[in-house]
Amino acid sequence: MATAAQTRHGVAVELTALRKSYDGHAVLRGVDLVVTPGELLAIVGQSGTGKSVLLRQIIGLECPDAGRIAVGGIELARWLAVPPEEKPFRIAMVFQSAALLASLSVAENVALRLREHGRRTAAEIADTVARVLEQVELAGTERKHPSELSGGMRKRVAIARALAVSPELILYDEPTADLDPILTEQIGTLIRRIRTDRGNTQIIVTHNLPLARAIADRIAVLDAGRIVECSTPAELGRSRHPLVREFLRAAALGHEEHPC
Amino acid sequence: MGVEALREPRPPGFVARLGAGVLGVLQVLGEASRLFVAALGTSAHAAATPDRARVTAQLVRVGTDTLPIGALLSLFVGMVLVVQSADQLREVNESVLGPIVGLAMTKELGPVMMAFLLAGRAGSAMAAELGSMTVYDEVSALRTMDIDPVRFLVMPRFLAATLALPMLVLYSDFIGVAGGAAVVAVDPAIRLSVNEYFARMLEWVHFGDVILGLVKGVVFGMIASVVPCAFGLRTRGGTEGIARSTTAAVVWSFILILLFDFLIVRASFAG
Repeated sequence: MATAAQTRHGVAVELTALRKSYDGHAVLRGVDLVVTPGELLAIVGQSGTGKSVLLRQIIGLECPDAGRIAVGGIELARWLAVPPEEKPFRIAMVFQSAALLASLSVAENVALRLREHGRRTAAEIADTVARVLEQVELAGTERKHPSELSGGMRKRVAIARALAVSPELILYDEPTADLDPILTEQIGTLIRRIRTDRGNTQIIVTHNLPLARAIADRIAVLDAGRIVECSTPAELGRSRHPLVREFLRAAALGHEEHPC
Repeated sequence: MGVEALREPRPPGFVARLGAGVLGVLQVLGEASRLFVAALGTSAHAAATPDRARVTAQLVRVGTDTLPIGALLSLFVGMVLVVQSADQLREVNESVLGPIVGLAMTKELGPVMMAFLLAGRAGSAMAAELGSMTVYDEVSALRTMDIDPVRFLVMPRFLAATLALPMLVLYSDFIGVAGGAAVVAVDPAIRLSVNEYFARMLEWVHFGDVILGLVKGVVFGMIASVVPCAFGLRTRGGTEGIARSTTAAVVWSFILILLFDFLIVRASFAG
């Protein structure tokens, strides 16, 4: 049954007073953030402000020093302790480097989690792989290896791998880093389409403010380990926060220099 | 001047560097031991379909990496042993050439040579591959997919090396002994027949000597896989970090192989 923390396809994410330090250097200094089920939230900020660290906490790759993470109304630690086949919802992450296994083909990469944990037959897995590759417009690349793909294609395979398990929450770490403006727009369109088609919750970490404004429902600005602004793209344009103004000015300049 | 002294951090002294070095060594040994226990624990899954395929793939890889160069090395070491020993024994008793080559190959040279070869070739490849996977978030990606990196990456390499190395030791023993026999057969300066070379060898080399070599093979196989995997999984710092891990993995594997070689030999004489 759908609850306030969980819709049919999306889950809520709730971060409370999240803190994380490395070797005495505080990266997250008390992050409070609520993402509603089915929302597409972009987290923007300068390089080194802890955006990727935040994602790694949300998916459980690292533990916070203090604070609380709840996904779908469940404490993250409890969700992590549940065996893979019995998890009430799934979380997937698309890494900045795509993180495809070089020794596996595209199809094997996409099918990896299904093959390792699912109870599906080989034919069902092949159907799912074909469907998600079609969705990211990479049908026919099943037998290729990551080394044979362009950067944009690798990112789309990583998105297909995430979609293959029908996750209720997808986290993207700089999905358009190192991509040209055309590929950036394609990835942005794809993420927006996934949200429309599936309605799952998506959190995107990026320093590409134009992309965030184009696709996100809300944008959170992370600065010095804290969320300093969280608003709709339209509201963000009217923000008086100095960092946000600086971001908007730099983004406008970049847009003038490289109009796409 | 006082302010300057506060600003400039003093370089660590000898004791601090020594302490950091000891801690580093203990950390490496601790991580390798923990990974060994974890790999041993996940080995129970080796019969499952996807795991079995991964173990087989690694076995093939370790074999193809090591067999040709292993044959070459063993052949020449066997031949050199005979030439060197024959020169020393010419005036004494050349009939012990067979036992010398047989015992040296089965008890010491076969296991240590093959272990060094495996650590240097397959082991360095393991460290580099896992290091690259760690640096480029592939290991993290496995974790987000609820796939245990130890079971997926370490266990197949651990089992493959542990199973392959005793086989490689036997392979090395045979080729080394054959190399020695070839020199005995063709070198006119050696006054010993090939039949006598083998007959004396069979008198001296016992089944227990071969077993000792195989036990060393099992232990060295574990070391030559777990140590590189541990270094691979602790890699940080991009391409430079991968290179550092690979070098350290090979050096540490060699050191631990020699240490355990001594311990096993010492234990075999204790009885």
